[in-house]
Amino acid sequence: MSRVRVTAPATAARPAKESREAAQESDVGQVFVRSLIRSQLRLALVVAGGFLVILGAFPLLLAAVPGLAETRIAGIPFGWLLLGVGIYPVIGLSAWLYTRTAARNEARYRDLAGDQ
Amino acid sequence: MNAGVAAAALAVVSVATAVIGFYGLRISRTTGDFYVASRTVRPWWNASAIGGEYLSAASFLGVAGLILLSGTDALWFPVGYTAGYLMLLLFVAAPLRRSGAYTIPDFTEARLDSRAVRKVTSLVVVLVGWLYIVPQLHGAALTIRITTGLPSWVGSVAVVVVVCLTVVAGGMRSITFVQAFQYWLKLTALAVPILFILFVLAGTGYSPVAAPAVNPTGQPPASLYSNVSLLVALLFGTLGLPHVLVRFYTNPDGQSARRTTLIVLGLLSVFYLFPTAYGLVGRMFAPELGRSGQPDAMVLLLPRELVGGAAGDLLAALVVAGAFAAFLSTTSGLVVSLAGVVSQDVLGAGVGGFRLAAVVSAVVPLGFALMTDSLALAGSVGLVFAFTASTVCPVLLLGIWWRGLTDAGAIAGMVTGGLLCGGAMIAGSVAGAANTPAWLAQPAAWSVPTAFAVMVLVSRATAGRVPATLSRVMTRLHTPERPLATGR
Repeated sequence: MSRVRVTAPATAARPAKESREAAQESDVGQVFVRSLIRSQLRLALVVAGGFLVILGAFPLLLAAVPGLAETRIAGIPFGWLLLGVGIYPVIGLSAWLYTRTAARNEARYRDLAGDQ
Repeated sequence: MNAGVAAAALAVVSVATAVIGFYGLRISRTTGDFYVASRTVRPWWNASAIGGEYLSAASFLGVAGLILLSGTDALWFPVGYTAGYLMLLLFVAAPLRRSGAYTIPDFTEARLDSRAVRKVTSLVVVLVGWLYIVPQLHGAALTIRITTGLPSWVGSVAVVVVVCLTVVAGGMRSITFVQAFQYWLKLTALAVPILFILFVLAGTGYSPVAAPAVNPTGQPPASLYSNVSLLVALLFGTLGLPHVLVRFYTNPDGQSARRTTLIVLGLLSVFYLFPTAYGLVGRMFAPELGRSGQPDAMVLLLPRELVGGAAGDLLAALVVAGAFAAFLSTTSGLVVSLAGVVSQDVLGAGVGGFRLAAVVSAVVPLGFALMTDSLALAGSVGLVFAFTASTVCPVLLLGIWWRGLTDAGAIAGMVTGGLLCGGAMIAGSVAGAANTPAWLAQPAAWSVPTAFAVMVLVSRATAGRVPATLSRVMTRLHTPERPLATGR
């Protein structure tokens, strides 16, 4: 059995790398890159912050409304449904929103930097 | 349990793993080049493979056991394991793919232009990998003891032998197929028995023997500090796990790395509904399993406890098969990524070095697993996440998003985080679980911010050491790839 040494796929990566690094040759290119990084970081922080606020609100809600955690829905206590099931759609929604907006930020960068 | 049925289940999983491995190997051989093959790996396959590798003994056995013991407090474990992937998506996925790095040491060396950083990162990554393999082997030992009555060491040794054989023989090429298969096996192995149990419970009108809020062992609930600290560890620990990063490399570009992560989040969300269901059913219908001192065995024992007969035996065998898939997939993923690091940095490149490194990467944690006893699986994996969050996570996050990071800062931060968190883990295990205060048992809440702070302050003090390649590397990390000529 032969083994392939795992390294970067050089032939495929080269054109992309060259075009991307051409963007930083000029000062204007760097301005665009910095603004892209700032907008992606801002987006990631906003989504993470929003998610953590909702995550924190779940147990607070259960603590604030007495009896809510024990209320049964189809035999299952609401507290279990909220933390065991209800958080996952929030995670999925945050991830989907992020992915969409991050791709949009990159499309805007492409337009500005004239990368296409 | 019927030992023959359990043994047959183990044999089937091992053989299926090997067969798929070799089948996949043949495919990648005919395409000639592994990377041609890897670019045709669809996001669904890749996401299944990531899920297969990520869902370890802690997820398969530990989470349900912990929910049985601690109730809703333990629900933070599956939530944290899943939300950790959200953090990975937000902060790491696309830039890491674009860096072109294959291992975490590759990334830190490229970003900081420093061999010294590479060495320290390698050391940390190897430690993380070893610490993470040990609970997998503990899980295997427990499963073998409970289901076949054989001595515990047989389970740990069997996992290490199967993993060494497949990794030494097949290497990395076929692993995507194996891991993807194991995700779906694990999901089936948890879903079918619990759905059958629920069906039987509904059909017989069997009434609960305890309320879900009742703790079977009478332990006090976890403090707010413990829950918050655990969440910090799980949220920030995931993005530093060595075997997770390797998987991102098989995505063609940064965009698809994000899409893959999105699918992984869906797969994890579906998977974790089932350990949660086991925990809840266990609490309501079989709380005595929580008093046996081995709550991690609950998933293995519940089908026979509540269904019984031949059907119970078959369902239990399915769960055993899924559990072994979990130990095998996580361990082999870790061994492959560790072997890459160890062979590059210590033993020298080449096939012989890789094979030797793979054996070393598996045998060292085996020795440790045989000398120590199984703690609660989810808890010990939680500590590994705390260690990763205190060491690898700061260097990745700051490296990707902050231009000011220097090699000196990265090393100082990783060493500080590693010493603080490692020290807390050692102190905790010496003192014993009963005598360990919460701040020591869950160190992430203070060790992670300290590691970040040290990394930032030392980088500021050594600002002259910012690498000359900085703006080139940052451009590579964050700008989108031009669509490849060969692509869509």
